[in-house]
Amino acid sequence: MTSASEGVAAWAAAPSDPVASQLHGRSSAPSVRLQRITKRYGQVVACDDVDLELHPGRIHGVLGENGAGKSTLMKILIGLIQPDEGTIDVHGSPVRITDPITASDLGIAMVHQHYSLVEQLTVWENVVLGEPTKLNRADACARVAALSERYGLDVDPLASVTRLTAGQRQRVEIIKCLRREPRIIVFDEPTSVLTPAESEQLFSVLRRVVVDEGRTVALVSHKLDEILHATDEVTIMRRGRVVDRLSTSTATASGLAQSMVGRPVSLRSEAAALGSIETITANVLSSAVDDAGNTAAVLTTTVPSRPVVLDVRNITVIAKDGHRLLDDLSITVHAGEIVGLAGVEGNGQRTLGDLLASLVHADSGTVIVDGAAVDIHRPGALSAAGVGIIPEDRHDSGCVLDLSVAENLVLADLAKVAKRGVLNRKALEVRAVELMQAFDIQARSPHAAMRSLSGGNQQRVVLARELSANPKILIAAQPTRGLDVGAIEYMSERLRQAAADGVGILLISTELEEVLTLADRVCVIHAGKIVGEMSRSDLDLERLGLLLGGMAA
Amino acid sequence: MSAVSVDASAGAREPSAVGNASGRNAKMARTGWMVGAYAGCIAVSLSLCAILVSTTGGSAARVFSALVDGSLRSPGAWGLTITTATPLLVVAMGTIVAAKAGITNIGQEGQLLLGAAATAYVATRVDLPGPLLLTLSLLAACVVGGLWAALAAVMRFTRQVPEVISTLLLVYIASQITTFGLTKKWLLLARVNKTRTNNGEPLPASGHLPVIHLFGNTITWGVVIALAITVIVGFTLSRTTIGFRLRMLGLNARTARRAGVSVVAFGGAALVISGITAGLAGGLWLTGGIAGDRFTGAMSSNIGWQGLLVALLARERARLAIVMAFVFAALRTGSGFLAATGVDRRIADVVQAMLVLSLLVPPALEALRNHRRGTGVAA
Repeated sequence: MTSASEGVAAWAAAPSDPVASQLHGRSSAPSVRLQRITKRYGQVVACDDVDLELHPGRIHGVLGENGAGKSTLMKILIGLIQPDEGTIDVHGSPVRITDPITASDLGIAMVHQHYSLVEQLTVWENVVLGEPTKLNRADACARVAALSERYGLDVDPLASVTRLTAGQRQRVEIIKCLRREPRIIVFDEPTSVLTPAESEQLFSVLRRVVVDEGRTVALVSHKLDEILHATDEVTIMRRGRVVDRLSTSTATASGLAQSMVGRPVSLRSEAAALGSIETITANVLSSAVDDAGNTAAVLTTTVPSRPVVLDVRNITVIAKDGHRLLDDLSITVHAGEIVGLAGVEGNGQRTLGDLLASLVHADSGTVIVDGAAVDIHRPGALSAAGVGIIPEDRHDSGCVLDLSVAENLVLADLAKVAKRGVLNRKALEVRAVELMQAFDIQARSPHAAMRSLSGGNQQRVVLARELSANPKILIAAQPTRGLDVGAIEYMSERLRQAAADGVGILLISTELEEVLTLADRVCVIHAGKIVGEMSRSDLDLERLGLLLGGMAA
Repeated sequence: MSAVSVDASAGAREPSAVGNASGRNAKMARTGWMVGAYAGCIAVSLSLCAILVSTTGGSAARVFSALVDGSLRSPGAWGLTITTATPLLVVAMGTIVAAKAGITNIGQEGQLLLGAAATAYVATRVDLPGPLLLTLSLLAACVVGGLWAALAAVMRFTRQVPEVISTLLLVYIASQITTFGLTKKWLLLARVNKTRTNNGEPLPASGHLPVIHLFGNTITWGVVIALAITVIVGFTLSRTTIGFRLRMLGLNARTARRAGVSVVAFGGAALVISGITAGLAGGLWLTGGIAGDRFTGAMSSNIGWQGLLVALLARERARLAIVMAFVFAALRTGSGFLAATGVDRRIADVVQAMLVLSLLVPPALEALRNHRRGTGVAA
């Protein structure tokens, strides 16, 4: 436990700042007070009678699962959404925030999860975008440079946004936001595309903004570690309601997790969902010590003797602009093994997933499935060879939204429900009902449009289809993105089960926690290359962090 | 883990029986809504037409009565309408196949014109016994129409030229080619041409489609061909693996590719098929005899464009296309009688266009309604 905590300390910024704790004890006037906010969408209540107070000089965490209502609440605060009921006070006076411009006039700004930068423009152009005054390049660059220096946000004002990494883009977003000198700043899931080192840097910027300049910060997140290490106080939301609020100094990971999910949770099985590296590593280490009954530990010892089911050799994919999306990448997966491919978003994971779905042209390299080389450029060849895929974006290449659930369950497997080229509707329906039960897919009927299903159920349809084809290897790319805790647990269990049944699994994920909970072996991808590999038994978080940032370790 | 299974069983439903019943109800409700929408739109359109005709000094009652006379009531009228509907339906079928695969062929007019020219060439320049001559001339129409579309397919799949542009521009080239053909006696020009415009050689008697006489109406056998194509297209699209793959391709090309559907093979085939049907429609139009007994440069007279409209209005549904083809044919034959009512020809054209528009509105309304609902669910 102790050695794991050290790893985490390196990952997240230390929160115990004397000034902050001093502020914490004092009851200052709130800079924002949301009272009895309710927002409904038809039958769904996104926010139900929510109260929230943000204080100057403090970082306030808003914790909750996907769909808990935290994003809706923040969108109400910056005027993107109008509440059905409730009042908002800013600096003590009641206000109506009808649009983001009003919010901006009140000194409220937000750094969005998905960046809103114009790729073709340079950094300084993005920063001054929307300013009514005449453009002056030298002046704008100087201002960007001044902000960079003041907050330690290193970025070149003349650089084109296209060339920037996710972390650098976020810095630009933050500069864009701080330039208007907002008093209240909302950060929405700010670390989802950052490396641990970049996250750490972000939190130190947050500290400076809050402590030195007395601004108010709300940090929206579903990650326990982030909340524990970066905030002063926390409000926990579940199903649109505030279920708890407390000072972070008195909070514990398991307590927060329980409030968030609404029941006692086993952090072992849900750690991926809740984003607690601490609990994962604690488990890994304890299992390394006594491996009785721990599947993961057992697998690590047995896997090497099993056959290689996926062998990707020296694949290079070059984009039109000459950029190497995959650069001489090689990776192998054994039967029954879960290999986690960790990496910061945008380092070639998507291309690798597309390549294994026959959607990308490779400039060189081979893919060998279960001992036989596959023509990766022939549509469907990989699928026929036994490669199942849960794609990163299921709407893009995982399902057809305008076909029915039953049809989506057989896309590549038509032979099972057809005779001499004619579909047997009865067989199609019977098969669909079977799979819907086996994989617990909630749909009005097998004939319901795929579009009408919830994200979690759509994902189950994809999972059911791919697993029912008896794949030799299953590629799971960001399999739990956008799903709620229950669905994440389900997906994780299914993947473990499939591995236990002998399927090789390549888990491509930008969520380090997910990789660490599930994988027997972790490979790190950076700039289209595998830059390092470690087995579960010799996991070293510090080295992993360096690898993710592209530093050889 | 236990909590998850509890959640699941609580939400689980018997998917088969309940789901089917509710699905059927929803479908009936939707059909009812669409019938109402069509009725409403046609009523609005007819009222507007009536106002227009009355205010310009005509008699609305006489105009509508003339439309019905020309398309249905007068002797032989509905036979004529059905024969006119034949090429429209055939064009629409090919268009539906292409549209299902996500391919937008809008060059039917040119494919049809060249198909008719091929039929005319074979029928007038090749010496064969009766049925064989007709069969060969119609096959020639299919081949030429298909090749013309294949040009667009090759450009689409080797050089990424959008087929919307290439098929459209090929219409004008097709028109130039047939105009040229009509200047050469060894191609299409009549050996004895007495008129000042260049017309084709009259088809021999054996080059015409045989006819069926029914209650005083004359219908060509082309109708049987068109209906057969409709049945084949409808069945293939909804019941076969090929049709399934084609639809998959049209709805999500990347998912389809991953599932083993070759975009080039299926997309190219769909485009060529729509060319083949358009070409065949040209052959049927020419050999059906309504447009005269010989090939002329203007003979396609918008059948290709209207066939495309039929496919659009039928919202890519084979069965609905039969109805739409008949309605369009009725507007064509009916408007032939409008001139006799003394209404200005331009006003008569507006009346016709308004009726077409009234058929376009309900599908648009439905799309809007689905869209609204879609976003409602998403939020």
